[in-house]
Amino acid sequence: MRLSGWSWVCALVLGSKTVAAESDAPLGVPVPDVHAFVSQGFILTSGNNYIVRSKDGSFELSEVGINFTETVTDKLRLGLQLFAHKPATGGSYNAKFDWFYLDYRWTDWLGFRAGRTKLPFGLYNEINDVDSARVPILLPQSIYPVANRDYLLAQTGAEIYGRLNLPSAGALDYRLYGGTIFLDVANQPGSPLQVVELRTPYLVGGRLLWETPLEGLRAGGSLQTLRLDAKLLQGMTVIDLQIPATLAVASVEYAPQDLLVAAEYSRWFVSSHSSPPGLFPEVTTVSERGYGMVAYRVASWLQPGAYYSFMYPDVDHRNGRAAWQHDVAATLRFDINDHWLFKLEGHYMAGTAGLTTALNDNVALPLLERNWVVFLAKTTAYF
Amino acid sequence: MRARRAILFALTFAAPIALLLGDATAAPPPVYVVIVHPSNPTTSADRKFLEDAFLKKTTRWDHGEVIRPVDQVPDSPVRRKFSEEVLRRSVAAVRSYWQQLIFSGRDVPPPELASDEDVVKYVLKYPGAVGYVSGSADTNGAKIVSVD
Repeated sequence: MRLSGWSWVCALVLGSKTVAAESDAPLGVPVPDVHAFVSQGFILTSGNNYIVRSKDGSFELSEVGINFTETVTDKLRLGLQLFAHKPATGGSYNAKFDWFYLDYRWTDWLGFRAGRTKLPFGLYNEINDVDSARVPILLPQSIYPVANRDYLLAQTGAEIYGRLNLPSAGALDYRLYGGTIFLDVANQPGSPLQVVELRTPYLVGGRLLWETPLEGLRAGGSLQTLRLDAKLLQGMTVIDLQIPATLAVASVEYAPQDLLVAAEYSRWFVSSHSSPPGLFPEVTTVSERGYGMVAYRVASWLQPGAYYSFMYPDVDHRNGRAAWQHDVAATLRFDINDHWLFKLEGHYMAGTAGLTTALNDNVALPLLERNWVVFLAKTTAYF
Repeated sequence: MRARRAILFALTFAAPIALLLGDATAAPPPVYVVIVHPSNPTTSADRKFLEDAFLKKTTRWDHGEVIRPVDQVPDSPVRRKFSEEVLRRSVAAVRSYWQQLIFSGRDVPPPELASDEDVVKYVLKYPGAVGYVSGSADTNGAKIVSVD
């Protein structure tokens, strides 16, 4: 799904209508809505490298996206988004189809979507790489880890969705999906195990949100289950590894007027089965994750926010700095105008469970700095 | 004689005073009015219905026509008032809502037009359109609906 360049995108842009204007198509040729964003961030950490090699400061937090949406009929819509960033695992800024779909909305309570669609996991998974749509630079990493972006952001398959108004009881918003994830094989330098093949035979899930009669209050849950199959090479030995995983999250959000209060709690159940057996522990690991977040728009140009996030990778082992990650974050979002924003963010981190050894010179997690801080700055322009 | 004087007094002073008082107590025009296409049978709309229509959570009128909401530009005072009273959130919060939908591929926002005149033209063009203009604007035949 990679593209060699952006030239044909420019041609599409030149033929598109602007965000605000509602114009008739010249000569009957459809002209899609076009929207785009460009983000550039900076990250500096003390003690440990986080997300990228950040201890000396890094500008490797760049994102660019452009999307096109065309309403073909009253019920049928087509859309696609191209997205480029520099993955933490390495690589360059190749543009990829972030999402593309055909969407048939038969009625408000039943629609069908096919293509590559973002996963409705929790409240904010779909905006994990859309800086303009949220207050924090980094969403709580316990539930929305940037490192898992390729696994958690989108699936290729189909989805049914709808919204049902309940008399005097608000509304139900529901989505059910099934498909697969196409993953690029990325081997870590120096690792004794080489990944030969990686595929997802299935991924199914859904989300149910209840929009309560109290203005701005919604609550619900998401469930997702998938299996990851890997073929590994250790020396001359071929190992088949199956990793079934089930992810569940409970969510509540209260957003009246300019206030936002949100909290989510999640458990992820991950197992592994290998052939030949015994090469990997045949156990199910349960991780526990959650956060509480608050933000308030003080003025149209200023929105401070803060959250506390926690993560235990294994609920049965909670001792030692590598067994937990606590994150206290504060953000200032400045909206310079309707199409340009700037953010400053600080994190106080305790624990090393959110780190990777690969980014930290293969030093084991229990040996990394226990308490550390993160500073981020980011600017985004969008239309 | 007295009666003539009284009539003269009334014509000279009382009537203009009454007119002045009448002007002072007349209700000012509303900040905005909601307008639809003249063929739309709707005469009044529930606030919650309009909120869902402008956020594209509801897509059809009761008579089956597809709803085509149209907004004014973000810095318009009319939009600010409409947003606070009908959508129950600030213009900035509404824009944030649309950012989430635009870039996750869920939907696109209503068109944003620059003036009352443009909104009236849009509403007169599309049978399912719904917009809002300032209370003093010339609606040029577009139908005003009350908000319940």
